[in-house]
Amino acid sequence: MLTKKQNLLETIKGGNPDRFVKQYEFMHFIMEAPGGRFPQPGETIKNDWGITFKWPEGQLGGFPVHDDEHKVLKDITEWKKYVKAPVIPTSEEAWAAAIAHANTVDRNEEFVTLFVAPGVFEMTHHLMSMEDALMALYEEPEAMHELIDYLTEHELAYAKALIDHIHPDCIFHHDDWGSQKSSFISPAMFEEFFLPAYKKIYAFYKANGVELIVHHSDSYAANLVPFMIEMGVDIWQGVMTTNNTPELVKQYGSQISFMGDIDSGVVDFPGWTPEIVAKEVERACRNCGKLYFIPCLTQGGNWSSFPGVYDSTNEAIEKMTKEMF
Amino acid sequence: MSKINEVKAMVEAGKAKLVPGLVQEALAEGNAAKDILQGMVDSMRVVGDLFSAGELFVPEMLMAAKAMSKGVEVLKPLFADQSTSSLGTCIIGTVEGDLHDIGKNLVSMMIGSAGFDMVDLGVDVTPAKFVEAVKDNENVKIVACSGLLTTTMTKMQETVQALKASGLTGFKVIVGGAPVSAEYAASIGADGFAPDAGSAAVKAVELAKN
Repeated sequence: MLTKKQNLLETIKGGNPDRFVKQYEFMHFIMEAPGGRFPQPGETIKNDWGITFKWPEGQLGGFPVHDDEHKVLKDITEWKKYVKAPVIPTSEEAWAAAIAHANTVDRNEEFVTLFVAPGVFEMTHHLMSMEDALMALYEEPEAMHELIDYLTEHELAYAKALIDHIHPDCIFHHDDWGSQKSSFISPAMFEEFFLPAYKKIYAFYKANGVELIVHHSDSYAANLVPFMIEMGVDIWQGVMTTNNTPELVKQYGSQISFMGDIDSGVVDFPGWTPEIVAKEVERACRNCGKLYFIPCLTQGGNWSSFPGVYDSTNEAIEKMTKEMF
Repeated sequence: MSKINEVKAMVEAGKAKLVPGLVQEALAEGNAAKDILQGMVDSMRVVGDLFSAGELFVPEMLMAAKAMSKGVEVLKPLFADQSTSSLGTCIIGTVEGDLHDIGKNLVSMMIGSAGFDMVDLGVDVTPAKFVEAVKDNENVKIVACSGLLTTTMTKMQETVQALKASGLTGFKVIVGGAPVSAEYAASIGADGFAPDAGSAAVKAVELAKN
């Protein structure tokens, strides 16, 4: 039997996996690394960039607050006045817990994985609201290029710190690039503004020992797949059914793999049942096949919003392995 | 090309800086303000259709809406003493517990540019606030409820029920958001559903006119 790591590599390289990869099983997350602060349920926090996040009690996530009082970047043309990148911790103490955790991982079995979020696109709209950020791409393109360069430089500095301290095998990088039906911006605009940033970031990781780049965008982004390939993404996690995943596997499978096709909104809700989960898992596995595809909830992490859904999904994947391998 | 057609073309292209001047020129050419407004409404419908078809993206829609609003600013003083071509008031908000505002804002822009006066209640809006807004505003024809979380769908249902049970009449309720389907909308008693911002405007007009 292949290890989790070997089985993943066989799957994404078009080899001979001996089973379906069970969602995030190949990633061993090191969540202790210093990085962005996120609110817990019921909390409102201000992160190191000054962005206020609120997570309403009983709901599914935190949201940046963008009223006039809380918006960090009030005028894109004056971004240098408003946007101040936080200092990346350098002390041994700050990294000790993450290093200790990483040292416990058997790197032959699993990928030591760091969770990086938010990405460059998300940062632009977290700082100033989605409407301001998207309109600025048209109205103040030079300032947006400057801001994106600044955010990219910070990401690269953070990447260097992660590499120096943890030597990760895998980066799980969040940046949502679309809604469930379309990318937020056109491919041409993406190519101009965000592709160069990601080419730099992902190339830096790859040049420094990171074997696997997993990019999370739980959205439609089929029109951006050629750019994902160009920037060095190995696995697009979060691919929703609206992308026609089987077609993507067929068209791009030898260049990038797809992880998802089980829409969280369809299976991970208050009235979920194992039967609903099993039906969706079976559909995904049968339609997408055994290579270049990892059945997974589209949610960006190894958990579910409602207890039991993640594990139930794994059980349904095991069942499909028995039927299809 | 007539000036109205130039206005329309520039709204569709999202040229917010050019539209006010062209609207002035269209007026100077002798066009009625309501015809210029109708031209811009038609342009936004085109933009909405292209968005629904996946040919335009959010920034283009935002720029078109901004261009139209700049044009409307020029026309507004001319409508001050007369009834405009308003289709009525639309109350819009994201339901209680949900802080998503991008989709709601896009829908608001598109319904507004279709000819409604918009009252945006923001995000995390309780059922009671929706009902209150219908009471407090005149000529409410549409109440639009947005929600993106599976956990807030129950709040959407509560909101629709509260509006229907309020005894207030003369308006229709439309719902939308990622987890919402036409079937779900019907099951909770909503009058309409739209899958995206462009179709929301079409649905709002259709419901307000019936």
